[in-house]
Amino acid sequence: MIFVPVTYRGGVYRHNEVVDLIEDIGGYIVQKQVIASDVVLLCFVPKDDVEQLRSFAKPLGGEVIDSPLVGTEIAVVIPSLEIHHLPHPACDIAEYLRRLGAKSNMVGLARGVGKRIAALNDEERDVINEHDIAVYVLGNFEKCIEHKMPILRRGIEVPIVLCGAPDKEALQRITDPPVEGYVGNVGRFMHRTKESDELAKMDEIIAEITKVLDTKRVSIAKDPISVSPARLMDLIKEHVPEIHEVTSPTPLTVQMNGLRVKLPYDTFAGQIRSIEIEDGVKIGDVSDLNPSRMRDYILIKIRPFSETNIVV
Amino acid sequence: MQAIEYFEVECPEPLGAEYYKQITNDVLLDHNLIRVINKLHIYVDPGVPIFVAVGVLHKITRLVRVRDFAAVNPVAGKIMLVLANETYLAPMLRIFLERFGQDHVEQADRFTVVLRDVSVDAREVEEIIVADPSESVYKDLIYAFKCIAPEGFRIRREQYTKDKFFFVASEDALTDEVDALVRSKFARMGEVMA
Repeated sequence: MIFVPVTYRGGVYRHNEVVDLIEDIGGYIVQKQVIASDVVLLCFVPKDDVEQLRSFAKPLGGEVIDSPLVGTEIAVVIPSLEIHHLPHPACDIAEYLRRLGAKSNMVGLARGVGKRIAALNDEERDVINEHDIAVYVLGNFEKCIEHKMPILRRGIEVPIVLCGAPDKEALQRITDPPVEGYVGNVGRFMHRTKESDELAKMDEIIAEITKVLDTKRVSIAKDPISVSPARLMDLIKEHVPEIHEVTSPTPLTVQMNGLRVKLPYDTFAGQIRSIEIEDGVKIGDVSDLNPSRMRDYILIKIRPFSETNIVV
Repeated sequence: MQAIEYFEVECPEPLGAEYYKQITNDVLLDHNLIRVINKLHIYVDPGVPIFVAVGVLHKITRLVRVRDFAAVNPVAGKIMLVLANETYLAPMLRIFLERFGQDHVEQADRFTVVLRDVSVDAREVEEIIVADPSESVYKDLIYAFKCIAPEGFRIRREQYTKDKFFFVASEDALTDEVDALVRSKFARMGEVMA
């Protein structure tokens, strides 16, 4: 079954019926947000049933939008968490990604500033590698980006989208070896992105990220993962009641080929490993559970079919 | 409001200069410093690396008095002050407490202060000087330029005289050549550093 990431936006009135329908057609709700009288559901729905959901939502005043970023965890990497980069442009980009369904995390480097002194430590490298994609938001000078980019990307294995003030061609010219995506004319600035040309730039960043994610999806499809991350999410919700006590907005963060479980590794990893998915196949049989470098969370990476010979 | 008479950003990378002009403008606006600066020249060279800001200030003569932010009304043996904003509330209360004593000063609510049995009239209260903005301009300017300068430029040197200032920052040690650089940037504006 092919799942499509979509967002449902509508009112609180009869939204439970929409939730029921998504579950009945075999879909998964990744995140549910109730904001005053509005409801936003980020979900995966079987491709053939999207139209059914759309026509069901119409009389309720709701809308179903394709959201390619749903079910992805994106790292927004900035040289530091100081006023030079926050809240603009880093928060603006992270917030824009969140609005479109992605789970974005801001990674402010401890020593990412300057040209000569810029560095990336092992914890930062590992945290970035836990994401599906990393968006590097760098500064205004071609010379600086050229000098520090090789240092800041050392050991990074996930696809990178590079944003900086030089235009796209200049970024492509100075980045060796090339990264997966480039967005030019987005450097350091100190005002809120609200003008139409700035919002168009945000859309350009989203388009570039979507392009890179699509490439990653194609490569995953060549050797499909043994189980859908959204299905694992549902199973953990069902079998580990403690997850409902977690106050984080996304206690279970769905990634393209894995899942971040915001429970302590030492206490819950064994329990999660032994959860049966189907016909005696357990979560531990089709995935690797590792301690995350982010707090004491659990990071589940689902193994591909070529390794397990199982698809459930 | 007085505008900046001269404002230039010099950089070997034209796009970088454009971005830094925008950043400088945004930061100075956010910190209400546009009206303080008369001339400003910024030089950034990421190759060296160095950031130099030199400028000339407008003459700040204005003092903040009670009448600037509060309505002072004599009401049956007491003086009632109704504040338009709280910006200078704390320094004003400190002055009142020192001058009139705790028994004679009462803050009824956030925006109302009452003076009881004081020996001055409403007119005199209106003229009390509460703050001198020129005292904090230097601190505000340095903070603003720390925000404007490229991050990581942590070796800094700054100087502030009555009407001129410079701010130099780099991530490497600053050499003696910096003084000549600062003088040349002042010369670009037709000024001489005192």
